[in-house]
Amino acid sequence: MTKRRMFLRMITASLLRRRSRMLIALLSIGIGATILAGLVTIYVDVPRQMGAQFRSYGANMLILPREGATLTGDRLAEVLEKIPQDELIGATPYRYVRLDMTSRQQSFTAAGTDFSQVPKTSPYFSIEGMYPENTREVLIGKNIADIIGVKTGSTMELTYQPAASSKTAGPEESRLPNAELAGSAEGFGGGIVYVSVKLDDRSAIASLGIDAGTQTPEYGGRTAEDQDFLNQFIGKTLPLTLGEDVDALSGATVTSEAVVQAVNTARKAETAAKPQTLNFTVTGILTTGGEEEDYVFLSLEDMKTLTGSDQLDVAELSVSAGAEQLETYADSISQDSDTVQARLVKRVTRSEASVLEKLTALVFLVTLVVLLLTMICVSTTMMAVVSERRREIGLRKALGASDGSIRAEFLGEGLFLGLLGGVMGGILGFVFAQVVSVNVFGSSITFQPLLLPVTIIVSMAIAALSCLLPIKRAVAIDPALVLKGE
Amino acid sequence: MSLLELKNISKIYGDLKALDNVSLHVDQGEWVAIMGPSGSGKSTMMNIIGCMDKPTKGEVLLDGVDISKESSKALTDIRRDKIGLIFQQFHMVNYLTAVENVMVSQYYHSMPDEKEALEALERVGLRERARHLPSQLSGGEQQRVCVARALINHPELILADEPTGNLDEANENIVLDLFAQLHKEGTTLIVVTHDPEVADAAQRTIVLEHGRIADNRQ
Repeated sequence: MTKRRMFLRMITASLLRRRSRMLIALLSIGIGATILAGLVTIYVDVPRQMGAQFRSYGANMLILPREGATLTGDRLAEVLEKIPQDELIGATPYRYVRLDMTSRQQSFTAAGTDFSQVPKTSPYFSIEGMYPENTREVLIGKNIADIIGVKTGSTMELTYQPAASSKTAGPEESRLPNAELAGSAEGFGGGIVYVSVKLDDRSAIASLGIDAGTQTPEYGGRTAEDQDFLNQFIGKTLPLTLGEDVDALSGATVTSEAVVQAVNTARKAETAAKPQTLNFTVTGILTTGGEEEDYVFLSLEDMKTLTGSDQLDVAELSVSAGAEQLETYADSISQDSDTVQARLVKRVTRSEASVLEKLTALVFLVTLVVLLLTMICVSTTMMAVVSERRREIGLRKALGASDGSIRAEFLGEGLFLGLLGGVMGGILGFVFAQVVSVNVFGSSITFQPLLLPVTIIVSMAIAALSCLLPIKRAVAIDPALVLKGE
Repeated sequence: MSLLELKNISKIYGDLKALDNVSLHVDQGEWVAIMGPSGSGKSTMMNIIGCMDKPTKGEVLLDGVDISKESSKALTDIRRDKIGLIFQQFHMVNYLTAVENVMVSQYYHSMPDEKEALEALERVGLRERARHLPSQLSGGEQQRVCVARALINHPELILADEPTGNLDEANENIVLDLFAQLHKEGTTLIVVTHDPEVADAAQRTIVLEHGRIADNRQ
C-alpha cells in the first residue's frame, strides 16, 4: 500500500466512521454550497428571467416614420430584421384615424393594428370577450362601450370622413404644363358657371369647356356653344382680361365675365375622396386603465379599406434585451434608414436596468454573507473537531508525524468535506434554483453544466480556508500529552 | 554498548526541580524499569527519553547522538526512527481498525505495509481481530495492538508508560510475556511503572524520588 492510499484511507475513515461532528461540518458546507449554487444559477438566469417579466410592462421600443416620410408594413418588416428573432417578443403596428359613428353622432379615435401581435407588446391588455380574428370585427375600449352602450356581439357602423384638404394648390400654382383645371364663378342672376381648362405643354390654354346651365339659354347659355367665343381662349396664357384678351359675347356680358373669372381662378381638379362606411361586429371590450379605453381597435385590412391607405403611424416593439443592447439596436435602425427612426421607451428600459442592477447586487451580497457564514460554521466545527481529537493528534505526533503530515491530514479532511459538500450543493443548488424560479418567476431554469465543477472548487476552497485556523491549533498540540495518563 | 546515556540532566519548571542532576546509563538490549511515586519525575524523564521534551541542563545521548540540543523537528525524526511508544491509555486512533492503527505507525515511519502489520498483530495474538475498531476490542487487546504498533518499525528502544496500568492480571501477563520475547530478541526496553511485579520482570529497576535516583538495583 502506498502512502497516498493510506492517507486517503485515514481521511475517509475519519469522515465516514466518526460521523457526528463531521456531519455538521459537511452539512454546513453542503447547505452553503447549495445556496451558493442556487443563487449563482438564479444570478446567471435572472436577466433572462427578468427580461421576460419586464416584457409584461409593454413595449420598450418604438419605430416611427421620419418627418415627411411614411411607414408601411413592408418597411417595418425590413426594420425588424435588424433585431435577432429570439429577442424580439413582438412588434405591433398602429395606424390612428378618427372614425365617426354617424348613427350616434359620435366620433372616436380608431387604431388599426395586427391583433396577433397586440398581446405580445401589451400583455397587460385585459379583454372581456376575445381579440378580433377576422376583418369587420372590432375591439372597443371600455369607455366607448360605456358611452354608446354596446356589448360583445353588438354591431356598429363606422365611417371614415376624409379630411377636407386645406392644402390644395392656389390658381397660380395650378397652372403647370398639361394641367387640368376646374373653376367656377357667379354669373347672371346668382347662377354658378363652371369651367374646365386643359393646358398645353407651355401652360397655355389648349381647350376650354363651359357649363353655363344656370344662365339664360338665349343669352349667357350661348357661351358654352359659341365657337368664336371659345376660340378666343385657345393659346392664351392665364390670367385673362375681358376686353383685352377676350371679348365678351354680345348680350351675355355678365356670363362672359363669370367665365373669365372662373378660368382665372381655376385650380387643379381634385378627385374628391368619398366617405367610407363599414359595418363591424364587436368581439371584445378592452380594459387597461389607460387611454386605450377610449379607442376602437380594428384590423389593418379594414383600416386600409376605410382610408384607402396602408400607411402606419407607429410600431410598438417589445425586445428582450438589456438597456445597452436596446440602445445599439435603436441606433443601428435609425442610422441605416432615412424614412424611419427607432426610439426607446426610456421609462421602461431604465427601470429594467435599475431593477436588474439592484437584484444582482442583492444576490451578490447574499452570496457573500452565505460564504462567510459557511466559513464561520465550518471553522468552528473544525475547531471543535481539533480539540476533540487532541489526543489523537498528540498520538500521531508521538508516533512521528511531522507538522506537515498533521497539516496535510486536516487539510485533506477539509478538502474531502468540501468535495462532498460541493457535489451535494451543486445538485441540491440546481433543485433549489429550480424551485425558486418556478415559484418566483414562474418559469423553469436552464442547467448550467459549468456550475457543478465551480461549486465543488469553491466549496473545497472555502473548506480549506476554514481549516487554516484549526490546523494551526492542531499543529501546536504537544505530543507529550499522550504520556500523562490523562 | 550503551544505547542511552543521561548525563547530569535537570528539568526545572520555575522553582520546581522535576529532575535534579540525574545520570543514567542503559545498555543496548537492556530491560529497565523506572519506579517512583507520582511527582517523583517519572513522567518528565519519560518525556525526555521519548524525545518529547528537552532537559534544562545536562546531555542526553541516544545511540550516540546528543538529543538535548536538537530542534523539535529533529526530535520528531529521531523519535519516529528509534523509539516505539506504549501508553497506559493505549491511545488508538478510534476510527481506524486494529491493523490500520499499526499501519499509521508505518505510514509516518516509512511505507504502510498491511501484510507486515498483520504479522505484527499475529505476533501479539490478534490476527483475527485485525479488522475490528478499538471500541470492539477489550483493554488488553487494545494494549496488545499498541505493542504491535510499537514494534512494527523495529525501534532501538521501546518506551512503555505504565503499560499494564489499566489491565487485569491475565492481560498484564500477556503483555509482560511479549516484553520478555522482545527482550530476548535484543530490543531495549524501558518501562515506567509503579507495579512491583512489572518492575520485577525487568533486569534492573531505577527508583526515582523527588527528581533524583534513590535506588538503582539489579
